[in-house]
Order: sequence, then C-alpha cells, then structure tokens
Amino acid sequence: MAVTLPDQVELDPGSDYPLAAHRPELLRTPTGKPIDELTMQAVLSGDVAAEDLRISPDTLRLQAQVAERVGRTQLARNFRRAAELTALPDDLVLSIYNSLRPNASTKQQLTDIADRLEGEYSATLCAELVREAADVYERRDILA
Amino acid sequence: MTAEPLPVSTPASKRTEALEERPVNLDGFVEEWPEVGMVAMDSPYDPTPSVRVADGVIVEMDGKPRAEFDFLDQFIADHAIDVSVTEHAMALEPVEVARMLVDPTVTRSEVVEVAGGLTPAALLEVVKTMNVVEMMQALQKMRARRTPANQAHSTSARDNPVQVAAEAAEASLRGFRELETTLGVVRYAPLVAIALQVGALAGTPGALTQCALEEATELELGMRGITAYAETISVYGTEPVFCDGDDTPWSKAFLASAYASRGIKMRFTSGTGSEVQMGNAEGRSMLYLEIRCILVAKGAGVQGLQNGSISCIGVPGAVPAGIRAVLAENLLASTADLECASGNDQSFSHSDMRRTARLLPQLLSGTDFVCSGYSAVPNYDNMFAGSNLDSTDYDDWNTIQRDLQVDGALRHVPEEELLAARSRAARALQAVFAQLGLPTITDKEVEAATYAHGSQDLPMRDVLEDLKAAQSVMDRGITGLDVIKALEAAGYSDMAHTLLSVLRHRVSGDLLHTSAILTPELETLSAVNDANDYAGPGSGYRPAGERWREMKRLRHVVSASNPEEEIG
Repeated sequence: MAVTLPDQVELDPGSDYPLAAHRPELLRTPTGKPIDELTMQAVLSGDVAAEDLRISPDTLRLQAQVAERVGRTQLARNFRRAAELTALPDDLVLSIYNSLRPNASTKQQLTDIADRLEGEYSATLCAELVREAADVYERRDILA
Repeated sequence: MTAEPLPVSTPASKRTEALEERPVNLDGFVEEWPEVGMVAMDSPYDPTPSVRVADGVIVEMDGKPRAEFDFLDQFIADHAIDVSVTEHAMALEPVEVARMLVDPTVTRSEVVEVAGGLTPAALLEVVKTMNVVEMMQALQKMRARRTPANQAHSTSARDNPVQVAAEAAEASLRGFRELETTLGVVRYAPLVAIALQVGALAGTPGALTQCALEEATELELGMRGITAYAETISVYGTEPVFCDGDDTPWSKAFLASAYASRGIKMRFTSGTGSEVQMGNAEGRSMLYLEIRCILVAKGAGVQGLQNGSISCIGVPGAVPAGIRAVLAENLLASTADLECASGNDQSFSHSDMRRTARLLPQLLSGTDFVCSGYSAVPNYDNMFAGSNLDSTDYDDWNTIQRDLQVDGALRHVPEEELLAARSRAARALQAVFAQLGLPTITDKEVEAATYAHGSQDLPMRDVLEDLKAAQSVMDRGITGLDVIKALEAAGYSDMAHTLLSVLRHRVSGDLLHTSAILTPELETLSAVNDANDYAGPGSGYRPAGERWREMKRLRHVVSASNPEEEIG
C-alpha cells in the first residue's frame, strides 16, 4: 500500500483527533516506521533509535489541518513551519535561532540563511519568516 | 473640621500596634507613577485604540502609522490580528465586547473571533470596563480546555535528585499534570531532569515534565527526550526589553517552530511588571504591555502562554488594582484562544489572606493550569524563589476545593500511598543511576527521601561527583530511550512503558495542540477534544461523580455512622 500524503487526507477533528488514538495508521516516524512499531520490545532490541521518537513532516501537516479546522490559523502555520524544520539537524536549528537574536546578524547573513532554508531544505515558510525579520531588523536598527 | 497635627512622638494606639504586627504590613506598596509604567491598567499614557487597513495590511494601529511601528507593533499587526474582521471588531464599543465576554449565551468561539480583530489598546479598553467578578465569569467560559489542571514546581535547594524524584512522584499522585523543575547550580540540570522524569512515573502516570533553563539548553534536553515540554520562553512588551532579553518576536516564533519540529509541547511566558522591573516600560501601563506579549504569542503560533505576572508579581502587587490586572492578563490570554498557565507561582505576600485572595480568581473560574507552579516542596526548597502556595498548603487547598465544590485539580492522598510512591520513585532512580553508571544513591538516601519534607531531611550528596556525572550525561548523549531501557532492566517495567508512551506522543503530535495534557490513562486531552463548552448554569465543567467523591476526602473527616471514626 502506498504511503498516504497529508494533503490527500481529509481529517475531521471531532472524530480523528487525537490521531494516536483514532488514526494511528496515518502516523509514521521520520524514519518511516509505523507508530505501532514503537514497542518496548523494539526499544530493547535496539530497533528504535532517538530519531524514531521524533515527529515527521507529514504528521505535522496533518496536525496543521486539524488546527485549521478548529480555527487556529497561527498554530497551523507554526506546524507548517515546523514541518519544514524537521529536515534540519539540531545544531543548524539552534544556530539559526541564535542568528535571529537582536544585533546578531547582518542583513546579508540573514538573507543567506533564508536562501539556504529555501534552496537546501525547501523551507519556504521559514525562509519567509527570516526575510521578514531581516527587513524589520534593518528598519529598527537591530542588525549587527 | 481641621484636625490638630499630632506631635511626632505620639505613641501608637494598641489597635495600631496590633495592626502593625499583621503580616500584610510586611508587604510593599507604592503609589502609582504612570510616567515610568508603575500603573496597573489605567494610564493616561496608554494609546487610544484605532486601526486602518489598506490592501489587506494594517497601516495604522492604536494611533501609530505603520512607518512608526516598533517590532512588536509590526509583528502583532501582521501575524496576530485578523485583518478580515478587525474593522468590524474595532467598530464595537469596548463595553459591547465586554458584555459578550460575560454573557453565557454568546459562545466562546464568537468571542474569540471578534477579539481576534482587536488591537492591544482596544483589548485594554474592553477589560477596563470589567470588574473582577465579571472577569471571572468571562474566564470560566474563555478557558480553552474544559477540564482544569494544575502544575507543580518540584525543586530542591540542594539540587538533590533523590528528593526531586520523590517529590515528583507525590506531586503526580496528588493530581498535578505538569511538573517543572529548575536548578540552583545549573550544571546539575541533566541529573535533576532525569530524576523529575523518573519520579513522575512512580506516581499517577502522564504528568509531563520540564526543566526551566536558558532557551538553547532547555531545547536540547527536550530534544533528547529527557523532558517532555518547555515553558521558559520569555516574551516582553517593549522593544528595548525584548532586546535586553536577547530575542525578538521573530527569533521566538522560530523557536516555537523548532520545538514543534521535534514534537515537543511548548508555551511562551510573559507577565505584567516585567518591563517596569527591567527599566523600560515606555510609560505604558503594565497591562497594555502584557497584551502586546499575549498577541506576540498568538502571532507566533505557539499554543499557549504562561502569564499572570509570574516572577514579577511583586510589581503589580504593589500598585492599586494590580491583582485585577493580573486576572485580566489571564482572561485575555484565554480570549486570544491560547492555553493559559495562570501564575500563582511566585511568593507574593506575607499575608495568608492576601495570597488566598490573589489565588481565588483563577481557582474559582478554573484555568488550563490554575498555578503555573504550585510549590510541591516547602518554599525553602523552591528554586523559583518561592511560590504563592507550597507543600504545607495542600490540606488548605483540598479543603477550599471541598468547601466551594470547585476543582483545583488536586486531591487528598492517604499517607501509605504517598510513602509507597515516594519510596518507589527514589528506588527507581537509584536503579536508573546504577544502570547508567551515575553516582550511587544509597539506601539511606532512599529512606530519607521517602519520609522527607524538604532537602534538609536528606543526607548531603557528593556534589562534585554529581556534577561530573551530569556532564557525562550530556557528553555521552544519554536520551529518554536510555532511561526507558534502564527502568526496564531494573524491573520497573510499568514505569518504562509509561515513559515510552509519553515519548511516543511526540511522534503523533497530538500534544502540540492548545492546552494539551495527558490523562492518567495516557490519552491526550486538549482544547480540540475537550473544548470548553461553558454556556451558563448547568453547562461546562463541574466536578461530579468519582471526581467529586475524591474531592470530598480530606485528612480528617468524621464518619457519619461512627463519630469516633475518621474516614481517610
């Protein structure tokens, strides 16, 4: 059976949420394991690694759909940005966060981060956020 | 008539002497000083509400043209306010919106929609028309989750992990659904965070844990699955103070997405008084600035906010109507459709009457977390500088719940159950430390932790050895999975299974939704599947059935059939 993509699923928050209880078949780890395979036996035999206990971009987009359907636009957008960030290693996530602090980056550095997010990780929503920050930081004089 | 001025040396009356002895007179009170922001919610310097939209963009807000927006204004205008309803919502009189908040026949979602179009100054005008009883009536409708919950502080003045484990077990057994720790010596964090997690598993399953640290470290512990959620993500109401906190709304919004990208629940923190305390309130009222924080949280897309002055409670607490403003903060966070962990988490007054009065608005209305840190340890052990309630207040809290039939999310637990859970927590931590090659926990420590009231009742640990071990936890890359394996290997299979379930919830993302907690059955309860449906008398959450029977139990209740007997 082919893997179902999040935009092909129509979720009803009333009957499908929590997804772990009502739609477990939709949930996979970032490594592609179905959530039901995360058993104690699998942990003890070493078949579950720390990366398996993370959320996948598809799941975040499903949860974004749930949030949208209960009227939480900004929460959904956060989940969609998060879906993009699942592809980034931890240290890169932390380093971008540090670059976004006030007086930490030049406009060019922020633009480069945005370009990298978009080019390397297809993280268009996150790139948009970083570009917007670069503009505001310039206007408010909090670039490095 | 004009009174004769009394000579300076006039002795005080006996009445005055008695009043001077009252604890409330140890509290600090100051006059309002609006020019520096020492005013709760009614300042002549707060802006006048206004909004102008052109081509789908807010080009003027609260009297300021877009070109003059500071970064909070811009973030709020572009991300928090619903441009499609703002002109309609802003056309309503503040008192009309306030009436919608209070009127049980107007649904929560109708209010959320209208409020979503209001600017910070307009939201301030709305709550300025409301007294505290009206705000409480509104809060019981606007709270996002139907079922109230509570959060504990589980800390130790000596950062003693054995004590923290035992306290976490007791706190979860007493009903807390979130447990927060922090440190005296920050380098102790990995050991204490593990202790908190393990201890929580020995009580009622499903209490989520967090360790309050600097942003990047907190995220790292979360990513490793040693903690389950995060809350110490501070936002501020003026641009200079936000920058002093080394953040901006954009860095914080990015951080919110970073947490969600790892499946970790997170909320922001803010509160009245932080800006004036940090010396840059720009002459605005505390509540106006806090409303900006609430809208930054909303715009960032984070699911919730810890507010209600929090660690700055002494500031609004010192000025007139300050505690009314603190209630207004909680109400507006809930009205912004955010989870609200509603303060009551910091030592506030020497007066028992006053700290109870400060608590009642949140307790009686019910919030997502009535305390965002009820000290589950004696206040001398509270490393958040003491809470409004501590572990010596448990029986009073339970009695107030029973007197008023109001659910503050705690319960009385018989001594033998508490001792069993505390002992098991300490034993399990002893085993986990042994499995992970961490410093020994002796049987004597287990015994002491079981019966302790605070850290003074425990033997001293070898701090240097512990700190070396804490560093090794980080260096060796120990994760929540290692803790699961250690618990299972040591025969604490039920606790291992519970932790695996908690971590599996990250894969599903269900806990990322607004106001999510885990039930003792390890099911997610959030504002999606447990949405507040309060619609007046006879509706909404009311403690009944098994929960009400549980609330009726206290330490000493005389049996109806045998007055010689106490039922436990």
